[in-house]
Amino acid sequence: MTSYILRRLVMTIPILIGISILSFAIMYLAPGDPASMLIDPNIKPEDLERMSERLGLNDPPHVQYMKWVGHILQGDLGTSFIQRRPVNDIIMERLPNTLVLMIASSLFAIVLAIPFGVLSATRQYSVLDYSVTTFSFIGVATPNFWLGLMLLMIFSVQLGWFPSGGIHTINVPFSIWDRIHHLILPMIVLGSYDMASLMRYTRSSMLDVIRQDYIRTARAKGFRERTVIYKHGLRNAMIPVITIFGLMLPTFIGGSVVVETLFSWPGIGQLFINSVVQRDYPVIMALTMFSAVLVVIGNLLADIFYAIVDPRIEY
Amino acid sequence: MKLNKRFIILLGLMLIFSMALVACRGEEGTAPKDDTTGEAKEEAQGEAADEPQYGGDLIYGQIGNPQVLNPMYSQDAASGNIEDLIFAGLMRTNEELEMVPHLGEPVEVSEDGLEHVYRFYKGVKWHDGEEVTADDVVFTFSIPLHEDYDGPRKSYFENLESVEKIDDYTVKFILKRPDAAWPVNAGWPLLPEHILGDVSVAELGEHTFNRDPIGAGPFKFDEWVEGQYVRLVAHEDYFEGRPYLDSITVKITGDTNAQVLQLQTGDIDMGVFPSEEFATVETFDHVKISQVLRYAYNFFGFNFRNEFFQDHKVRQAFAYAIDRQAIIDVTLEGYGEVAHGPVSPLSWAWTDDLTVYEYDPGKAKTLLAEAGWEPGPDGILVKDGQKFEIEILYNEESNARRTTAVIIQDQLAEIGIKATPKSLEWGAFVDTINPPRHEFDTIILSWNLGTDPNPYHIFHSGQIDEGLNYGSYVNEELDQLMEAVNLEMDEAKRTEKLHEIFKILSEDLPYVFLNYPMENVAYPINLHGFIHHPSVPFYKADDWWLEQ
Repeated sequence: MTSYILRRLVMTIPILIGISILSFAIMYLAPGDPASMLIDPNIKPEDLERMSERLGLNDPPHVQYMKWVGHILQGDLGTSFIQRRPVNDIIMERLPNTLVLMIASSLFAIVLAIPFGVLSATRQYSVLDYSVTTFSFIGVATPNFWLGLMLLMIFSVQLGWFPSGGIHTINVPFSIWDRIHHLILPMIVLGSYDMASLMRYTRSSMLDVIRQDYIRTARAKGFRERTVIYKHGLRNAMIPVITIFGLMLPTFIGGSVVVETLFSWPGIGQLFINSVVQRDYPVIMALTMFSAVLVVIGNLLADIFYAIVDPRIEY
Repeated sequence: MKLNKRFIILLGLMLIFSMALVACRGEEGTAPKDDTTGEAKEEAQGEAADEPQYGGDLIYGQIGNPQVLNPMYSQDAASGNIEDLIFAGLMRTNEELEMVPHLGEPVEVSEDGLEHVYRFYKGVKWHDGEEVTADDVVFTFSIPLHEDYDGPRKSYFENLESVEKIDDYTVKFILKRPDAAWPVNAGWPLLPEHILGDVSVAELGEHTFNRDPIGAGPFKFDEWVEGQYVRLVAHEDYFEGRPYLDSITVKITGDTNAQVLQLQTGDIDMGVFPSEEFATVETFDHVKISQVLRYAYNFFGFNFRNEFFQDHKVRQAFAYAIDRQAIIDVTLEGYGEVAHGPVSPLSWAWTDDLTVYEYDPGKAKTLLAEAGWEPGPDGILVKDGQKFEIEILYNEESNARRTTAVIIQDQLAEIGIKATPKSLEWGAFVDTINPPRHEFDTIILSWNLGTDPNPYHIFHSGQIDEGLNYGSYVNEELDQLMEAVNLEMDEAKRTEKLHEIFKILSEDLPYVFLNYPMENVAYPINLHGFIHHPSVPFYKADDWWLEQ
């Protein structure tokens, strides 16, 4: 197991190098650069030239890339072109906000998806099953931004139950309830797609499992139905679901770009959009690599959990 | 039976969803209309019986995220707005967009216009209690002159030879050339020498001061939470008296939708919103709306590298063919004025002696015929075997520009010109129109006007290879006039020359000038003393007060 994990980790190195080269190249080839984004009659070409020089944009691309790699190996993500301070600081200020949102959304997704998925499988073709199925179809088919706008219109504007954006109320002392209050809508929007698809995976995986011989054996032994379903059935049904969940981790980053913009949530999704618009290369690179690492970790975690849940799997 | 159940559940869900939709729509139609458009200033005067009250916190919503809070290094409006509250300078703009003394008076300008002496008030305090002295002024203006300075403002001060301290409250600026626009730069926000004096200029750009600034303006920096808000509190020792408000928090909303939503739910108290949201914001009963013309104009620009547009008659035909009022009605909900030249009605240099091309497609057709353009078999004009087909380029972030492009496309189709709108993301857009590429036929864009009304940077032929003359427009007579304006120290002669420049441009049409848009600000009904300035959002914010 340990050697498997090590092997996997070593394998990620060329993958990350490849991703970094690719994203660097795309960024380099994209039109526009941070120096030329301004249209200000008082800012002369000499100023822009000086700016490019300072930012190192006049170096050939491979030199720029090697410099970047050199810094990143020392744990230095560079200095933001726009904010003129370390990218590490900027990301560390925003990362907790995104993590809170991601964790809340995944809990929301799991806590609702698994019980309802199981119930809907064990009571196949019941009203509950149809409701869950319909609901999850709608959930999968609903775009994030639309759902977000609808929830904002209904619960924030019409009913006034929830704030329409931000992370806490301004000019009010810290309170955990206030934080949660602000978190609920974005959490639902970010988690709904994954909840819906997890529900469907749980249902179909559970349906597979409960038709297996060993479930019948368990029943024949006289176990209570609850024990049969949750101890013998669910554990096995979870194997594919865990894989799917691991693969879903990075989609939270993608989704957070939309959700954070919609809800003025100051996380890295919002930062990513701002940085792309302003061509803040060091921040874009840092965030791209961050998502790449997250994909790799997501896959790795899925594989490890796999082994824990399913003793047949050996590495 | 099974199918039936499924159908009923589906139907139920659909009902719930459609009810939600109806609920959203209902409100808009029925909400009471509140006629509060108008000058905020009059409002404040009308209720002058009420004494201003101290206290209260204001949350101002802003779309952009500030970059750095140091005027020598920031280059975005989001930072600039906040800097206006924190910092103070020797001069500032007034409501008529003239530069007027703020911290001090320009006491003396030498005969040759090269030496400007400023005296300023005693007892002006920095936020940490120290007094503002001539050392601070000398320090501030020495920064951009220093060879290690790496910020974006060097060219602003390229005409400044040196700055000298005469006594503790008097400074002398020595210029390289006479410059009638110098007071604009003399008003640059001051930085504290007693804090930054020991920092080397090379390190200033990345100094922590830029996220924890100290100025001499009406509001003191309190807290900056990245991506969320910047909180400022009243400066007790402000030289014009303590501001009435206890605090102003500039909250970053990120985009227009969020901005309007948060205005509606009261998560922000105040903010700018686009005209297309006017009908929505009008229904909120906790805010008033103020409108003024923005100090800016929208235009449709020609690229003279495309030989079609070198013919004056063709450009005139475009001016006659485009119904500018229709564009205002659709893109700005009617909140704007038709433009005929590159000068704003708000400017002291405004003149109505401009050549006016009224909407007249018939005249446009005649002019094109005179220029040798004949309708081809498919209705599109043809000359020397070339079809009159062009692209209209705009940046995709702007809804208003997209709509403008489509309207112009329609109107040009009526006179036999095939125009195709094309959009690019801002970075790519700038890259495409900038030198050395100049790759467009026509563009839709806006200029925010500076305090100096001379359009030199936009239309001078010297600005083609490296500047903002994207359309490569050349007019020698105009070049000379624009060069002469800033050397002219006599106010009357200067104005006369400027008027001549505007007249020529309105006649010659390097652009079809489209409109002057309105800016809309929503602010709390109990806010008094707010003056809606066309280019400074927090204009005299120390006089704003909230009725408790």
